[in-house]
Amino acid sequence: MDAPKLPTQMPGGPTSHPNHAVGINSENSFHPEKPIVYQKVKNEVRVYVWNLPVRIFHWLNALAIVVLMVTGIYIGKPFSSAGIPGDAYYSNLMGWMRYIHFFAAFLFTANLMYRLFWSAIGNKFSRSNPFRLIFWKEVWETIKFYLFLKNKKPHYIGHNPLAQLSYWIFIFFGSWIMMLTGFSLYFEPQPESFWAKLFTWVPTVFGGSSYMVRSWHHLIAWAFMLFMIIHIYMAVRDDYLERNGTVSSIFTGYKTATNHSVGEKDGE
Amino acid sequence: MSKKEKTVYEAALEHGFSRRDFLKMCTALAATLGLEFTQSDQVVKAMETKTRVPVVWLQFQDCTGCSESFIRSSQPKTESVLLEMISLEYSEVLSAPSGHQAEASMEQVLKDYKGKYILAVEGSIPKDDAYLMVGGKSARETFIKMADNAQAVVAYGSCSAWGGIAGASPNPTGAKPVTSFVSNTPVILVPGCPPIAEVMTGVIAHIITFGKLPELDHLGRPKAFYRHRIHDKCNRRAYFDAGLFVESFDDEGAKQGYCLYKVGCKGPTTYNSCAEMRWNGGVSYPIQSGNPCIGCSEKDFWDNGPFFTRRAKIPGTQTTINPDSVGLAALGVTAAGIAVHATGTVVKKKMDEKRGEE
Repeated sequence: MDAPKLPTQMPGGPTSHPNHAVGINSENSFHPEKPIVYQKVKNEVRVYVWNLPVRIFHWLNALAIVVLMVTGIYIGKPFSSAGIPGDAYYSNLMGWMRYIHFFAAFLFTANLMYRLFWSAIGNKFSRSNPFRLIFWKEVWETIKFYLFLKNKKPHYIGHNPLAQLSYWIFIFFGSWIMMLTGFSLYFEPQPESFWAKLFTWVPTVFGGSSYMVRSWHHLIAWAFMLFMIIHIYMAVRDDYLERNGTVSSIFTGYKTATNHSVGEKDGE
Repeated sequence: MSKKEKTVYEAALEHGFSRRDFLKMCTALAATLGLEFTQSDQVVKAMETKTRVPVVWLQFQDCTGCSESFIRSSQPKTESVLLEMISLEYSEVLSAPSGHQAEASMEQVLKDYKGKYILAVEGSIPKDDAYLMVGGKSARETFIKMADNAQAVVAYGSCSAWGGIAGASPNPTGAKPVTSFVSNTPVILVPGCPPIAEVMTGVIAHIITFGKLPELDHLGRPKAFYRHRIHDKCNRRAYFDAGLFVESFDDEGAKQGYCLYKVGCKGPTTYNSCAEMRWNGGVSYPIQSGNPCIGCSEKDFWDNGPFFTRRAKIPGTQTTINPDSVGLAALGVTAAGIAVHATGTVVKKKMDEKRGEE
């Protein structure tokens, strides 16, 4: 292999030939081979899509859901017993699982309330209005897009309508079911308390008995798991197809998009 | 049938009880009703002044288990309930007369005590009359006639309260709880298979003592007895919190008395006072004796899955599943679907790129 050539040109100068950038303190000092590069797309802008509060909500929600799921599965079907057999005095395994579950549940609830509030004052990407015909038409186009059928789905910078619908179903209604059934179960030991009385109607709605409330809670929990893997897959897929930084956008807030998709004219 | 209206106290004296025995009974009764000791004089006063309450006890699609439980009450003792507190006018199990004589006494109650008697019911009522005729009359007709003229209906047992085993899937007789056939009469549900004897007598004692129905919860059960979950009062609860579980009925944990949660205990979803009042005069109750609670006082408990596993019921059906196995399976199917879809995505993208280059 050839030794790196000494600089014949200052870095940053005209690079009509990629090998010109070789030299001390340059990217190619040690490894002169050319890396795979993507051509920078012309007329592209960075769009601030996810406000900071939305990103914080997302990650707190993700954390809460994972913690709730692990502890929840344990509570539903304890997969391991306490290490110290004998007296109940020395361990508190289920106690801790329940404590963590409740703590995460309160975090989950507060976080969701905050997110609902944020949709009132956040940017347009933080809102969704399913009470329009166009929403459902575009849901249908998006479904066709995902089924590899011919479709008229435009490019969306934020969520596509199908994604929005999935958040309505899982993150909005799903969360409400989990919260209502969860708090109903949580306050069961104190039926006379103010908080329990707030939730006495819940068992009536969810099938009449404590067992049905529990069943709902357990089944919807698994729906959340399904949502989670599909959600992650869709995000990665979008990033792969569009190269628009979907995955990194939930950390940074920014996605890339074409000039005209944000209403700007193409520059030279 | 001369019926001199005797007070409970008078009836007690007549049956050879002393004043001291009477006061003891009243105090025990107050405790059963969940009253403070200072309130026991209210019970004494009520028993001294109130006359015995006429009771008609009807049995429909049942197993007589509730009657069997009732006659094993210890506080108050069944004999004091039967002889002093109530006047049992009709009962298939305990009546001396039978046949036409017994049926006649029911008619007599309608004449003598209209709107005053308590109708105790055991068993569910079939939608189709052909499944249950007693004395040539359909159970439904008899019940509606008796319920309309009663002071209150006390639905003893899970059959009369929720439909019970006759109402379990597939419910061939179309069995329904008694609440489906009552229009204006107040109903007290005393579910359980059977209910605890002291709860059964306690409900009647409450009506006599206070002259009104006990406070009911949102499902119509007396709060005093159905307010708490078994789980929250369980003598094995400490093992639950510790994470010490019986894995099978013959393991060390079972001998040690660990929590029965993993062998299907329905205590966490069951409202009853077994863990507080216990059975057979406070001797024990299923969980204490090493058997998981089967949730017999809960609605549709027969359909809530196998007794010795933990399950979840699919809403709107009678089907129970293991939610975690089904959830994992659904997750696997979804993952497989994603793999297929991802492959399709990559192939399509490559094809599109190729077409773009051409």
